[in-house]
Amino acid sequence: MMDEQPKRSSPKQSENGEKGNCVFSPGFRSVAAMAGWDEEALLMASLVVEDTPDRDAKQKRRSDPLFKTPPTNSRRKRRDQRKSPVSLPVAVLDLDEEEVSREEIVEEKKEQKIVVDINSKKDEKSNESTSESSSIPCIDRLREELSCAICLEICFEPSTTSCGHSFCKKCLRSAADKCGKKCPKCRQLISNGRSCTINTVLWNTIQLLFPQEIAARKVVAGASNTLQSTDLQSPPARRRSQYRSVVEALNSPEGEQLSLERRRRTVNHNHHHHHNLRQQQSFRPASVVLLNSGAAGDNSVSRRRRRREAVVVAPPEQDEDAVLALRLQREEFMGAFGGSEQQGRRNSVATATVNLRAMASRAVGIRNHRGGGGR
Amino acid sequence: MMNSGSLTGGRSWPSRTSLTSSGKRIQKEMAELNTDPPADCSAGPKGDNLYHWVATLFGPQGTPYDGGIYFLDITFPANYPFKPPKVVFKTRIYHCNVDSTGNVSLDILEENSWSPALTISKVLLALRSIFTNPNPYKPQVPGIAHLYLVDRSKHDALAAEWTQRFAK
Repeated sequence: MMDEQPKRSSPKQSENGEKGNCVFSPGFRSVAAMAGWDEEALLMASLVVEDTPDRDAKQKRRSDPLFKTPPTNSRRKRRDQRKSPVSLPVAVLDLDEEEVSREEIVEEKKEQKIVVDINSKKDEKSNESTSESSSIPCIDRLREELSCAICLEICFEPSTTSCGHSFCKKCLRSAADKCGKKCPKCRQLISNGRSCTINTVLWNTIQLLFPQEIAARKVVAGASNTLQSTDLQSPPARRRSQYRSVVEALNSPEGEQLSLERRRRTVNHNHHHHHNLRQQQSFRPASVVLLNSGAAGDNSVSRRRRRREAVVVAPPEQDEDAVLALRLQREEFMGAFGGSEQQGRRNSVATATVNLRAMASRAVGIRNHRGGGGR
Repeated sequence: MMNSGSLTGGRSWPSRTSLTSSGKRIQKEMAELNTDPPADCSAGPKGDNLYHWVATLFGPQGTPYDGGIYFLDITFPANYPFKPPKVVFKTRIYHCNVDSTGNVSLDILEENSWSPALTISKVLLALRSIFTNPNPYKPQVPGIAHLYLVDRSKHDALAAEWTQRFAK
């Protein structure tokens, strides 16, 4: 290491020049001089000459675990030579760079085996989806072993029974509800299906082993939670509930105005749904005031009606926020799934999920805030 | 309203998000059956409906049902796997646990002994096992069960004859 340091710090030109000396015969050099080739052009030629026959050997070397064993002097030197000529914009260099990135992937794979660190896993999971499964030899057995016997997927928030069998917490709960309080695997009595707790060690292990599956399921779980909380199980169901509220609205005297208002708001949503939730929040009170002022022109009973109406208006408002959050989640989810097939978009997936989480939590926060304030 | 409705309604989600948990589970089982099919049987959806399957069982060697091919209809309930699938023999069989309409008496297919951890491939395995070991103590057809207990050779001869007649 020490003896090569001065060499590396010395200008590369001279080193390559020496190399050029050995490669080219004096005759060639004189001809080159006559042709008007300067030092740089000669250097380039020497690099090309040196680089081409070396290719096969290089390919082999690439698979070596470079980062583990310190490279020998000669290797380092040759690598330096290839990388060093910053002044030479040769096409060969591009090829090299491609190979270097491949090399990095190999390195990452190996690192994965050694470093079992959550952070590094999180970094890699976005751009290392294919190597994930290949890095652990018995991953298929593990997948089988860590699958829930009820949903046949990787255990999500596993819960372990007193007889030692693990299932998704949700699956175990519904099994206890619908099939009686006995273990689905061995039919032993489970003390209480309601109070099942997550097996944290198992859950953490699963999260480390299958980060992608778990991330995908978390998104789905989040979406279904939003769905359940707003009673919007599926698009048709949602439409039905909207239809119901519109019918309700039409039955009330201010109905037409209300439905008009709703339509206007949804149009507004369509314009703004990607920008900011706060904008909508500030928009809402104005709309309510507008609605109320319209109703106030009616008659004296309007005050009571107005109160009722406010109650009617509030839920759709929350609905739409939840729907918005859900839609964003779904869009990101779709993006994540579409992107996983394409190498190039993998990096964006990680940032997208972060954005999505932030947006979803903000939407839920707003909803909670409003729900608390509205009543 | 129309706008917000079409936002999600007009879009075709991939099956993995729109499927119910039962549909997901059935799909998983289907994939598993395709990659790792159990011996001497096969199963799969009848048509587009994921909840309606057809299965075939081959009569095991060394039994009077040897050489027969038995077709079964499997219907999954909406809350599968928390409720058992319904299995009906479509091919006639001389067996004390299968009646003339094809209804099977198999303990794991009963509501209170079914477990959500059971799969179709396990059900098929259990059905295969009643070919070799009929259960005359819990019969669907008591007459056949009686004959099975009293005169085994006559029972086997009749069963083989039915196999020849209906299952080939």
